[in-house]
Amino acid sequence: MYQYNEFDQTQIDERVAQFREQTNRFLAGALTEEQFRPLRLMNGLYFQTHAPMLRVNIPYGLLSSKQLRMLAHISRKYDKDYAHFTTRQNIQYNWPELAQVPDILADLATVQMHAIQSSGNCIRNITSDPLAGIQADEVEDPRPYCEIIRQWSTLHPEFSYLPRKFKFAVSGSPKDRAATEVHDIGIHMARNSAGELGFEVLVGGGLGRTPMIGQVINSFVDEKDILSYVEAILRVYNRFGRRDNKYKARIKILVKATGIEKFKEQVETEWHTIKDGPLKLNQERIDHVKELFIKQPYLVDKEPCSNSLALEQALETNEQFKAWFKQNTLAHKQTNYRIVYLSLKSPNRPPGDITDQQMDAVADLADELNAGEIRTTHDQNLIFADIHQNDLYYLWQQLQEIDLATANIGTLTDMICCPGIDFCSLANASSIDISQNITQRFKDSTTELGDIRLKMSGCMNGCGHHSIGEIGILGVDKKGEQWYQFTLGGSDSEASKLGQRLGPAIAKENVTKTVEDILDIYTENKQNSETFAETCHRIGIDSFKERVYGSR
Amino acid sequence: MVLVENNQLQASDSWHSINEEAPKVTDQSIISLAYWLENKVELANHKGKLGLSVMGDDELSQFSNELNSFELICINFPTFTDGRGYSLATSIRAAGYKNGLRAVGDILPDQVFYLSRVGFDAFEVADTVAAEFTLNKLKEFSVVSQPASDDRAVINQSG
Repeated sequence: MYQYNEFDQTQIDERVAQFREQTNRFLAGALTEEQFRPLRLMNGLYFQTHAPMLRVNIPYGLLSSKQLRMLAHISRKYDKDYAHFTTRQNIQYNWPELAQVPDILADLATVQMHAIQSSGNCIRNITSDPLAGIQADEVEDPRPYCEIIRQWSTLHPEFSYLPRKFKFAVSGSPKDRAATEVHDIGIHMARNSAGELGFEVLVGGGLGRTPMIGQVINSFVDEKDILSYVEAILRVYNRFGRRDNKYKARIKILVKATGIEKFKEQVETEWHTIKDGPLKLNQERIDHVKELFIKQPYLVDKEPCSNSLALEQALETNEQFKAWFKQNTLAHKQTNYRIVYLSLKSPNRPPGDITDQQMDAVADLADELNAGEIRTTHDQNLIFADIHQNDLYYLWQQLQEIDLATANIGTLTDMICCPGIDFCSLANASSIDISQNITQRFKDSTTELGDIRLKMSGCMNGCGHHSIGEIGILGVDKKGEQWYQFTLGGSDSEASKLGQRLGPAIAKENVTKTVEDILDIYTENKQNSETFAETCHRIGIDSFKERVYGSR
Repeated sequence: MVLVENNQLQASDSWHSINEEAPKVTDQSIISLAYWLENKVELANHKGKLGLSVMGDDELSQFSNELNSFELICINFPTFTDGRGYSLATSIRAAGYKNGLRAVGDILPDQVFYLSRVGFDAFEVADTVAAEFTLNKLKEFSVVSQPASDDRAVINQSG
């Protein structure tokens, strides 16, 4: 993975010093809350219901074991012994003290981590495909380009006071595993007819209050021109994006109001003036960054260690292992290797939460079996990308000990969930208790029900991506009471799709029952091995409506 | 107001804005874009130095052809969170403007490093305390990771 050099280190150290000084001035009353607000947000710090919330960046979801141990240390020293992974591959702390945040940032800087632009109206963490570099269907590994975009966007002087937040996602595979179509800019790696490498660029996607699917602004931008192209988009947005109403300030609203053709014209007029300037990438630099992401040679043959079993033997002798293997591991492009999901969706904790002890144990296992590397996913799970099949049985046993082996990846109980009203000052309704009720009800049947993407947000800002859930649940406030709006048929894979509204919001106590009704309709109507999404698409939303509302 | 210009605290400001009390354009007058557009023809013969005052959302194309007839351009920030002036400054510099570029209005000392990177060389701040602070803040970072309108060298972090 990318290793920070002395320049990156100097930059983040100077950022910590800057934020320390700003925090001191705020605490001394020399900065007003209004003035401090954008400054702290650009360092990932929110003021929340109980305490500040600090969001720490994990660029394109790649972590070293050393970094994960530091994240564990921070949760012990400054927080309540746990942290929460987000839908943008980052991690959040819910209980830090404001006065200690500069110390937390200083600790993070020792392992080259930071909270730069993890919130605020600026360019946020660049997210990517959690399976980058290990799947056969890939055009090209997107991570070197994510890193190049990360460097360009870090402390960007021109784009730090944008109309609204700005999110990038980059995917190297035709299967969209990074929700690129619901980002302000989505980038797909592509090859043109001459076989040259470049990018298809989408603009104007987004979730939240007005969910929209991004539109293609240019179907092929040469790899050397990507920075000038995105800079041109940002400049047009910064100049013309609405600033009078924060709900209409995202680039999606601008693109829609301007029309994609006219918007493209504005962008490309600007682009042609800067295209051959200092933002042009040279092959040497691209190659250098790429080298940093090349894996050490894989060992095709590896004997099982003394606590493990050869894969075939393990599959034959242990049903529970077999179930986990089937649900939580994936084929790797390398022979004899598997991709392993560590499920953060155990029935015993809120979705995406992880304890300090789990973090330490995962770091140790990563060192032992996965070259010290951990990936985070936008589904709020972790991945070990390169596990030899003969290590799987041992790994599974170890993961069981730390409750990270729940065999539910891709199923109902592997749901996405935001922190909701329990922590977040924006939320209208709780989400954690709802998710726990659903998990308790379905934990035994979840694998039987097959692939189902349930996504839940506690308010329409949509951190839980409810709009693109196959089952989406949105918490709403009705005269001081918490109600839940269901949508069905959304998707975030391949072509993103927004879910359709099922009907009026459901009372809190009926949410689990409603999920039950929806799944009953599925199992009653399912043909052969149809997934929930397929059945839902085939029979339409009305049969679900009838069942859910007919009885009420 | 105290002026910080070219990394120095200035004892005074040799420029002045025209207003109702002093409506006549003299040497080193700062005029608004509206005034300039209205009186462009006459002002072309003006002998003294001219300054132009614009808002962050003003269109550069309205004055891009005459950019270097101004010795000073002031960009106004209505609120410190309105970033349009950053892009306007970038575009003004990219169009070849070499003279003074001043940030006025609601700006925080915390923003001057970025402002200096997009091409501003002068800042109007509240008082001498803020001015001293501004001078420190201009040196806040010793490395930058993207090209901008300044002459700070970009260190390719990746190699």
